[in-house]
Amino acid sequence: MTFQELILSLTRFWAERGCLVVQPYNSEVGAGTFNPNTFLRAIGPEPWNVAYVEPSRRPTDGRYGDNPNRLQQFHQLQVILKPAPIDIQQLYVDSLLALGTDPDQHDIRFIEDDWESPTLGAWGLGWQVWLDGLEISQFTYFQQVGGIDCKPISGELTYGLERIAMYLQDVDDVYELEYAQGIKYGEMFKRAEWEWSTFNFERANVEMHFGLFDQFESECQKLIGLSATKGKGGKLVWDIEDPLQRLVLPGYDAVVKCSHLFNVLDARGAISVTERQRFIGRVRHLARGVSEAYLAQREALGFPLLAATEGAS
Amino acid sequence: MSRPLLMEIGVEELPASYVAAALAALPDLVRPALEAARLSHGEVRAYGTPRRLTVYVDDLADRQADLEETVLGPPKAAAFEADGTPKKAAIGFAKKLGVDVSALTVEATDKGEYVAGRREEAGRSAAEVLPELLGAVIPKIPFRKSMRWGEGEVAFGRPVHWICCLHGGEVVPVEFAGVRAGNLTRGHRFLAPAEVALDDAASYLDRLRALRVLADPAERERVMLERLDAAAKAAGGVMIPDAFLVGENGSMVEEPHVICGHFDQAFLALPDEVTIEVMRGHQRYFALRGADGRLLNRYLAVVNTDRSPDIITQGNDRVLRARLADGRFFVEEDKKVGLAHRVPALDDVVFQRKLGSVGDRARRLEGMMGKLSDDPRGVEAARLCKADLVSLIVGEFPELQGAMGRWYLTQAGADAAVAQAVEEHYRPRGATDGLPGSALGAWLAVADRADLLAGCFGLGQVPSGSADPYGLRRAALGIIRVATAGDIQVDVGGLIGLAYDGYVEQGTLTVEKRAETLAAIDEFVRGRLAAFYRDNHRGDVVAAVLAAWPGDSVPDVEARLAIVAEVAAQEWEAFREAYKRAYNIAAEAPEGDFDPTLATEDAERALIAAWSTIRSDVDAHASAGRYEDALRLVGDLRDPIHRFFEDVFVMVDDAEVRDNRLRLLASIARTLGRIAHFHLLGGTKLES
Repeated sequence: MTFQELILSLTRFWAERGCLVVQPYNSEVGAGTFNPNTFLRAIGPEPWNVAYVEPSRRPTDGRYGDNPNRLQQFHQLQVILKPAPIDIQQLYVDSLLALGTDPDQHDIRFIEDDWESPTLGAWGLGWQVWLDGLEISQFTYFQQVGGIDCKPISGELTYGLERIAMYLQDVDDVYELEYAQGIKYGEMFKRAEWEWSTFNFERANVEMHFGLFDQFESECQKLIGLSATKGKGGKLVWDIEDPLQRLVLPGYDAVVKCSHLFNVLDARGAISVTERQRFIGRVRHLARGVSEAYLAQREALGFPLLAATEGAS
Repeated sequence: MSRPLLMEIGVEELPASYVAAALAALPDLVRPALEAARLSHGEVRAYGTPRRLTVYVDDLADRQADLEETVLGPPKAAAFEADGTPKKAAIGFAKKLGVDVSALTVEATDKGEYVAGRREEAGRSAAEVLPELLGAVIPKIPFRKSMRWGEGEVAFGRPVHWICCLHGGEVVPVEFAGVRAGNLTRGHRFLAPAEVALDDAASYLDRLRALRVLADPAERERVMLERLDAAAKAAGGVMIPDAFLVGENGSMVEEPHVICGHFDQAFLALPDEVTIEVMRGHQRYFALRGADGRLLNRYLAVVNTDRSPDIITQGNDRVLRARLADGRFFVEEDKKVGLAHRVPALDDVVFQRKLGSVGDRARRLEGMMGKLSDDPRGVEAARLCKADLVSLIVGEFPELQGAMGRWYLTQAGADAAVAQAVEEHYRPRGATDGLPGSALGAWLAVADRADLLAGCFGLGQVPSGSADPYGLRRAALGIIRVATAGDIQVDVGGLIGLAYDGYVEQGTLTVEKRAETLAAIDEFVRGRLAAFYRDNHRGDVVAAVLAAWPGDSVPDVEARLAIVAEVAAQEWEAFREAYKRAYNIAAEAPEGDFDPTLATEDAERALIAAWSTIRSDVDAHASAGRYEDALRLVGDLRDPIHRFFEDVFVMVDDAEVRDNRLRLLASIARTLGRIAHFHLLGGTKLES
């Protein structure tokens, strides 16, 4: 099974089970969780089922294309089921069949793995899924997103596509993967790994990145009308009162940019240990603002998807 | 009639640690609930796997015991008029009990006379009581972290899928999280996935065994260990014992099976610690050693199925290959850099925000080692001891700190004693860990811990209650244990002072707070010493010794403990009494020594004579730590001092005579008090 066949069959599997198939987010993200189709849609009471591939950038993981297992950009196939159906684990196990892997002939294990994103103010409980000792997926029940308690709970399934493809194709070097017939993964990405590693570790303009971080931070606050200072008890203070006048999506885009800029600066070695916490806190504050703005906006709109499901049933 | 009760809560895979904690708690939740409900029962046991938590009760009664008890009501005076006419309070009380006022009695209690009545209540059937009782138990099962699922209304360790609850053969319809109990259970997720009805509670373990689940954790672990041993033998090796892996693996499967995989011989060139940790930390594999004690290129993995072992072994081999290749990459990169060249990077690692970097810490240790050890290699060991923290391999496997420092130094041809000290300075890691095997390692170990204590106490970061985030208790105990071993002569107070001075030199702590901080640490260390010796010595003996101990040598504490224990025995009771009186009275003594010629009584002269004979020798013995010799001499004082207090009245009107007697007693108390504060010894009856 080629890399692209893997994407196609997993996508088809989830589309057949009621998931919307959407496209990756068009800005740099560290994981599929950052895509607003997960991050924002997990907030509030409305149902949401979606599947998509997310090219995910982790600047510090770059190895200049030298390491057969580590990449600064890899691919996740992300599935959100909200609310998580009670048979979500069985659905996941069934999806392995779509990979041509009979779960009954392997050792499938659900190993405790709690997830937390300090920048997003989000956490969840769940597992990493092992296939014969290989971690092939992350499985998380979101408990909190953007500082807001989730209700209902979303189930997030994240397939590590390179890992799975290496297993299926029985290769030890990611660059030897067949992406599609006749085209190796190395052809697609090896040079990219070297260039981005060089950029992230050596050449990225530190001053520009710090400057951009500040600008996107203040832009986000302006777009959603969030005051830079917090109120009593850490409460958010709003300069724009009307939820429908806040630009939630452009605001969130700025959060995603800040998060990535931080990651590049981190890889570049430009952020000291003490500054680190402060930067994370700044992004978290924005993420919280956007989350609350999103929830208020959906509420003002009457939670349209809730009405749609109720109407349908 | 009584029958067994079974309640199995079927869940999605619980973390290994959750299963053990929940099963430990379950019987203690169920037992008191049954007792409060007057349901007689036999043993209460818990079974469980990652997918089920089960409580099983032997011989649970079908009915509650009838209730018949006497209940105290209002005071007699408030309930009845003097002529016996019932007041409102009595009528109300009788009504509450459902009895006639005439049936009330009067009971005499410690607090006076009270009205009493009989309350009777017929026991209800277990079927009536159990659903609510068990339904209240489930939410009380403790989990380190609970989660919500679905609509997000209820929290539990993992989502609940079924509850199978039977009393004998009858379903107990417990409800939790929208799940209503029935008689259906499920077997192994992959090997026996269908729902199966249980006819009765008693057959639970047998039925589950047939459904490919070993629900009893003890049985599961036993079977797992048998299979591991057999597989190890077949592979020509023995398993490296590892309690953590046994616990983890036993809690991660429902039916344990074992595969034996292998990896390329070439990886054996890696340090054993790395190979073992890669397998253990990431994959939960057991490492094997051959008959010659050398690591084999084989491993054992516990898996949850017996199907397709070849495919599963191949898969695990692949994973391990990539992991070991990663490990080798790290080790080779580290070797290229060289440990000594990692030292500057320690300046970028925070030790504690206000106490500077790990680089600062290493420099403080260098300074200390220069003064503590005559061996010039001590300073070099201090300089290098933290360098492996910034190596790639320790970044990946923090547990390997120390071991990798030693390995990289050895590979680079460094002095063996330096390499050994670098590894050993982390010892002892815990109460049961071994001590450093070399003097250099021992010095560096105590210096490292003293540095931690001085820094944290300097900031006022002092352990309180169970909170000890920097592990200061462990650090103090580490110093005590190393000092006790006697390979090096540690002056605890001096060591801590030296550590504090290192911070002063670096400008992180001030001279002004030195005395105060050292006093606080001294008190802390004494507290740890008291705890350390409490197991083998009486508390009053330890207190008496520590009060006299100047705070330097730990073996000196032990020497004192040995002889003071003797004084605490029966035959010294009169001496202890006399010493206590001397000690108390001595506080009033004026300055100066006693004058033998001022004695007026025989008993007084006798005590002076006895004391004068031994005084300078006792002093010399005590100063030199020869407490046994000192005590032998002190034995001569027992009779004279006892007689002194029988015959002599100290506080006479004649000031000269009185002051002289006080000076005599003060002289004795002061000298003996340098060995131990004997007045703190209790009677021989004292519990240890």
